[in-house]
Amino acid sequence: MSDARSTILTAIRATLRPDRAAADPAAIAAAAAGLLLRVPPLRPDRVRGAAAEAFLARVASPAVGASAERIVSLAGLPDAVRRYLAAHDLAASIALQPHPELCALDWSGIATHPRIDLDEPVAVGLALGGIAETGSLVFHSGPTAPTLFAFLPLHHIVAVAAERIWPWLEDYAAALATLPVPRNVNLVTGPSGTTDIEGTLVRGAHGPGHLHVVLVDPAYHPPASDAA
Amino acid sequence: MTQPAFAARVDRALADPDLKRAIERTTGTARSKRAAAVAAWPDFAAARELGRDIKDHVTANLDHYLLTFERNATAAGAIVHWARTAQEACDIVVGICKAAGAASVTRAKSMLGEEIGLPHALADAGIERVETDLAEHIIQLAGDPPSHIVWPALHKTREQVAALFRAHHHDPGALATVAAMVASARRELRRRFMAADVGISGANFLIADTGAVCTVTNEGNAELTTTPPRVHIVTAGIEKLVPSTAHAMSLLRLLVRSATGAEVTQYTTFHCGPRRPGDADGPTAFHIVLVDNGRSRMLAEGLAEMLRCLRCGACLNHCVVFRQIGGHAYGGTYPGPMGAVLTPVLDGLAGTQDLPHACTLNGQCQEVCPVAIPLPTLLRGWRERSWREGLEPGVVRGSLFAWRFLVLRPALYRPATALALRVMRLFARRGWIARMPLAGGWTRHRDLPSPARQTFMAQLRQRRPSA
Repeated sequence: MSDARSTILTAIRATLRPDRAAADPAAIAAAAAGLLLRVPPLRPDRVRGAAAEAFLARVASPAVGASAERIVSLAGLPDAVRRYLAAHDLAASIALQPHPELCALDWSGIATHPRIDLDEPVAVGLALGGIAETGSLVFHSGPTAPTLFAFLPLHHIVAVAAERIWPWLEDYAAALATLPVPRNVNLVTGPSGTTDIEGTLVRGAHGPGHLHVVLVDPAYHPPASDAA
Repeated sequence: MTQPAFAARVDRALADPDLKRAIERTTGTARSKRAAAVAAWPDFAAARELGRDIKDHVTANLDHYLLTFERNATAAGAIVHWARTAQEACDIVVGICKAAGAASVTRAKSMLGEEIGLPHALADAGIERVETDLAEHIIQLAGDPPSHIVWPALHKTREQVAALFRAHHHDPGALATVAAMVASARRELRRRFMAADVGISGANFLIADTGAVCTVTNEGNAELTTTPPRVHIVTAGIEKLVPSTAHAMSLLRLLVRSATGAEVTQYTTFHCGPRRPGDADGPTAFHIVLVDNGRSRMLAEGLAEMLRCLRCGACLNHCVVFRQIGGHAYGGTYPGPMGAVLTPVLDGLAGTQDLPHACTLNGQCQEVCPVAIPLPTLLRGWRERSWREGLEPGVVRGSLFAWRFLVLRPALYRPATALALRVMRLFARRGWIARMPLAGGWTRHRDLPSPARQTFMAQLRQRRPSA
């Protein structure tokens, strides 16, 4: 349809550039960059203090609707998963995202499989990072991060490193600009939901019904004992 | 879609008590949640101006951004198609489906898909279409067109949805609650996601500098529609471009708050090309169909401001007319104020000229629009054009000419209005007129206040101390 392409472009240019001047990419880029300079002072007041703290608070807020906990190192993730499975009365069998850092952990007592089923009860994954402003997890698809891990399970347990929490949406966009663009970027904010019947919010539409975020924060000092 | 048809559709809508209840349940929630989200953002007004300026910047350089997007999307492995009309767009999509040997396609809600008539085109080609958005699933079962751009099944009460699911689902269960209905749809659609040969989605943003397509959803159905099948087809209007991911973020803040009152959707996804080497999932072919369908004409004919529209639906939720008559009465793909501006572009003004009149010009739509589209001004533009093109009915034209004749002649106008007052007061009972000849259009639905004893001019003469 090269005909369609030239017809559309010709029609647009007839309106935008009646003098037939060519578009000036440098001037357009400068104008686009100028628009972004206006963003920081007018953002909603969401992130104060440490980004990881703001992220954790946002994730567990009713608006996002996920649950969250904090551990000091990734080695503690299997224990966190065991606690979650026990608390929710789930079988000790998980789809484990095929990420080398996850596969290297000690999963004894839990059966793990690398492929995800259509009705997978529990999947455990590792996010590339998180965004404090919105409480979003960031996933980049790839060989160690299949997209469907974030969409098929009923319970999705996700570890994310505290040093990979970006304060604002724009901070993530700036980081993305320095990385190879993946096939899929998924920003995941809470469990799936729908308001399609009379505007009533119901969790667990087609994606996960439960999202549990495990923040891996070496600077965190857990309480000395449960009694503390 | 002639004038009697619009009037008849409105009459039918007004006579349906279920419809009014269904509209108020959803739009009422949407209005209060949006108000709370906006109130929690002190700089919303400034953010809205920025959103407007980002969209206007893209519109002013649309050719540049289209070519930049095409270049980057192609470099990422996408195949980019261009379509001048709805027919061309449908032909391209159906052609891709046939070339892929597709028997079944899943579809994630896209208003552009509705605009170009894709459901019909797929049906005509004998390709099974599975709508995966919950609301689209409901209206597919009901055989209805969408009645709202964010909540397509807004016209259905929960009782009506339960009846539909009971009739069509394989394992509906008790369906006593909305949650049970959602669970039934989840069970019903689960297997369909994996069985599809092609997944079709729309686009909320086209990111020029990466060539990615951004979709926002809450259910997760879009990703389950676009990831498992062999082929992913995106249909997108050419106005969906933004310069970069960072620009999209500013518009996302505005879009989601204005649509549902949430701060961000559960799933914000950027799709960029087909499956890469080593990927465990994702489509092996990725097509993007860029659709004009009247948009370059809007740019040329004074409707460039409408190309800002993010399709958030706030103007519908706040429109006093939409809230009375719902979406179907408008007769086009897009209802409410934004629909009354767009439908004459898409379907022609002759036959849709009533839509710009179905408006009180109270300005609510412009006030809540996240990109400050001057909707009342654009609607007035259509009214003027309808008048110039002679599309207004003879009785309206005749009445306006008669009124002009009188108003230009004060010596006639003053006694004529004084007489009209006296006649109207004959029909008044306790300050209200319930019935009066020639006023049935008004008094059928509400009373008319009895006019003052004297005309404004007469009262003015009496009150002036010396004139």
